Amino acid sequence: MNCREAGPLLHARLDNELDMAGSANIDLHLAECRACAAQYAALESLHEEIVAADLGYAPGTALERKLAAQFPQEHKSKFRFWSWNWLNASVMAAALAVAVLVVAIPMLRNGNGADAVGAEILDNHLRALQPMHQVDVLSTDQHTVKPWFQGKINFSPPVPDLTKEDFLLLGGRLEVIHRQPAAAIVYRRRQHIVSLYVSPSVGADSKPELRDSGGYHLLHWMQNNMSYWAVSDVDPSDLRTFGDLVRGK
Amino acid sequence: MDTKVRSFELTMWPHMRAAYNLARWLVRNDQDAEDIVQDSFLKAYKAQESFRGGDSRVWMLSIVRNTALDFLRRYKSRSVVSLEDQIHEPADHTPNPERGLLESTRRKQVREAISHLEPEFREVIVLREIEGLSYKEIASVLSIPMGTVMSRLSRARNLLLVELGGAKEVSA
Repeated sequence: MNCREAGPLLHARLDNELDMAGSANIDLHLAECRACAAQYAALESLHEEIVAADLGYAPGTALERKLAAQFPQEHKSKFRFWSWNWLNASVMAAALAVAVLVVAIPMLRNGNGADAVGAEILDNHLRALQPMHQVDVLSTDQHTVKPWFQGKINFSPPVPDLTKEDFLLLGGRLEVIHRQPAAAIVYRRRQHIVSLYVSPSVGADSKPELRDSGGYHLLHWMQNNMSYWAVSDVDPSDLRTFGDLVRGK
Repeated sequence: MDTKVRSFELTMWPHMRAAYNLARWLVRNDQDAEDIVQDSFLKAYKAQESFRGGDSRVWMLSIVRNTALDFLRRYKSRSVVSLEDQIHEPADHTPNPERGLLESTRRKQVREAISHLEPEFREVIVLREIEGLSYKEIASVLSIPMGTVMSRLSRARNLLLVELGGAKEVSA
């Protein structure tokens, strides 16, 4: 190989576009030709310099908003995270607009504790509506979601299949609520996400208690020494229905 | 309609950043780049039936690239210069005597050196060095053979080396 032939191939070598034989050929030439070796080194440092300079232009939020307005969207929740991540997230969770999470949590028995936990649950649910946070295990199959929790937490949360009742299972994730591990199971009802948080908590069974917070509804109950919280922006009666289905009532 | 919009969003919107970056490098100002991305997304949306699988990023970038070049041709009287106008003209180099003194200065130099390349060289540098596309992907975006990608990239890098004081220009 002469230098003239080597010229463009130096770039192909640098860009990992050559097969092994091609690379070996160029490397042979570089080993014996000082001029090409120097040129290759210069190209390499140019490449590194451009990459290190991080010269990509990022679009402003105004563009995202304009684009969003250009297309009829179905993401019109209160939470309009019009970032690309949010859209990526919707790839993952297939058009979420409502989440139901159920988490059972200790320390729910005294009134103040429950309020604090409720606030934390709501925060957690809202955070989960943001990009890439909905679920750690993405599956509409209860037999995939339930075993996923095994070995991650020391209790087994119920993961009922409520497809027929129009609560579509989206997946689950682990959370820490009030310093306790909790299972979060996410469902979708039409355009609403329902999160169910479950964690062990010693206490007598209790009936579901509904509370509201800024357009969101939280439903809390105790059952078999597990604390349950369901949170969503669905209609409160739908959330009650959801709670009864989970409780098996 | 909903399904169409959603599938479009899911496929194409993740490429918005890359689309904007390419448009911004080609037209060299924010406002025009935004218009081009909007325009391109609209075109892509209308043409989505013609997208038959394959690499959605490459497809999107080729639309952005063509839209940007059309724009440059149409507005050649403005500060931007069209592809044809630039081909036989030397780039507008602004030598900086303090070259290499500060990292930020150097970064600025690298950016300006790329920005001053003719569009046909600028776009291969942006697609390869900034977007990290393979020769094959670049060839699809630009609708040129892979061999041409390699020779343009070779020419572009050599021009940058000269401009940035890295080496004397060698024939590609």
